[in-house]
Amino acid sequence: MFPTPMLKCNSPSVFLQVTFASFIMSFGLCIQVGIAYPEFQQFSEKNSGRTTNCASCHENATGPAGNGSGQIGSLTIEEFAKLNEARTAFEPGKDVDSPILNRFGDLLIKKLGKRKVLEDRKEPAKLASDYGFQSDIDQDGIPDAQEFLDGTDPQNQHHGDAWRLFVVNINRYAPHIIAAAIGVLLLDWGFARMIGGFMAIKRARKKRST
Amino acid sequence: MSSGHPRTSKNLLSFIADRFPVDKLNFHHMVEEKRVPIHRMSWGYYTGGLTALFFLIQVVTGLFLLFYYQPTVSDANISVEFISHHVAGGALIRNMHAWSSSCMIFSAIVHLLTAFAMKAFDKPREITWISGVLLLLITFAFGFTGYLLPWNQIAVNATKVGLQSVEDLSQCLPPFLAGLPRVLRETFQGEASIGQSTLGRFYAMHIVLLPLAIASLLGLHLLCVQLHGMSKGVDKETDKSERFFPFFIFKDLFIWAIVFLGLFTVSICVPFDSFLPYPLLAPYDPLAATPPGIKPEWYFYFVYYPLEMLPFPVIVALSNILMAVLFLTPWIFKGTSRRTLQTLALSATAYLIVMTLFGEQIVHFVKP
Repeated sequence: MFPTPMLKCNSPSVFLQVTFASFIMSFGLCIQVGIAYPEFQQFSEKNSGRTTNCASCHENATGPAGNGSGQIGSLTIEEFAKLNEARTAFEPGKDVDSPILNRFGDLLIKKLGKRKVLEDRKEPAKLASDYGFQSDIDQDGIPDAQEFLDGTDPQNQHHGDAWRLFVVNINRYAPHIIAAAIGVLLLDWGFARMIGGFMAIKRARKKRST
Repeated sequence: MSSGHPRTSKNLLSFIADRFPVDKLNFHHMVEEKRVPIHRMSWGYYTGGLTALFFLIQVVTGLFLLFYYQPTVSDANISVEFISHHVAGGALIRNMHAWSSSCMIFSAIVHLLTAFAMKAFDKPREITWISGVLLLLITFAFGFTGYLLPWNQIAVNATKVGLQSVEDLSQCLPPFLAGLPRVLRETFQGEASIGQSTLGRFYAMHIVLLPLAIASLLGLHLLCVQLHGMSKGVDKETDKSERFFPFFIFKDLFIWAIVFLGLFTVSICVPFDSFLPYPLLAPYDPLAATPPGIKPEWYFYFVYYPLEMLPFPVIVALSNILMAVLFLTPWIFKGTSRRTLQTLALSATAYLIVMTLFGEQIVHFVKP
């Protein structure tokens, strides 16, 4: 198993050995897994014209390498086990709960399998069609694959291509908009009638006085 | 020499008396008798009312946001996320606040340009014009201070750039004033780098100082508008006019209703943050590198993109000239025809549209 600083060391030599082994293993993992697949990010940015980062698939916006939250350097023994399990999901269909991937990343590996994802690096545009346009994690009405193509956040309901969101939401919130329209126009009509009423009272008073 | 002072004070008193005629300070003159000319530029009379509508929406939605927003560096971003994702109607309120702030600045600029084109600054409306220019500047200050409050990457980094520009002003000042921009920056910033003090100060300005300033100036502006009535707007005298109360008010209310519905629809359908790349919406991380694509809000593009292309002192000089011209407009353009003013206003509009929509491409073209 992977050693962590939580292990109890009785002598300095054991501590040094454990630290050294930990460093070597972490370094090895960083080389193997730490460098994410920038081809997908580069494609997404080029296709959409928007700046993106690793947060579209990874837990950490700067990618899996490092000691931050959701990065390899900060993983516990249990999380390393989950990571190793995720790394063996070469074929589709296996449930993935990788500590360095977010929900979209996990679903991507589950749906396509790691082998297919690695293949798609040569032609990143294929990732969207291979993944399909059915899944919508954030339920904003824009499929995750489309969000990948648009360079938007597939996990944030309040982020997406503005026009696509407009088209989706105008249908979703049509009853709200109609209710608001009726309310506002009634209020406006009421105000107009009220002002008209004041004017009529004023005219009547003037007539009476003359 | 001895008669100089009484004459000056007499002139000053007469100036004030002309601008604030006491005999007209009544409901009958300011509302019942007031008439609005009808001509091809009449639509310009509605732009001020629309700006007021957006301001009212800002106040109401801002009050709702106050219930949940936490002005601390640790909680500001989380509280904004909480409003957007967990408070019932929170996303709508926040979007309405963001959309209407942009709409308010847009309609204020259109109002200024139409007022200029219609020569609405002519005697005795000088104070109306100057208070209007001040209101526009305060509106920009609202935008600048409000931009920091979500405490995300773009908010903090764009504010850093803005505050740095304040300090850079020292390059353009004589030596005895060179320290002033630094003092100003430190006053706004409150500490060595942008942090809790900055957020606290911007929050105080955004919700207390600027609203107080805008409320008092808006009162003065509206009083002047009602006292002097609508300017005639075109060079050729027009016979057609309508009563301000109730006919113009009816139309104004109807336009308000339609615009409010438009704003409601856009706010419920399109989150304002969608226009920004999502890495810029991440919580601000002081240890991380500045992400690419940091820009101010769209309404500062007209000065931001020229800053990218021209030396800083040139921009400062041009900005100062523009400010002086804006404040002295009633006297500089006293004898100018409305046709000339319309041409100038159209040129300014073209510049604003081109710089806002194509500024980035122009910068890439000039500085490949």
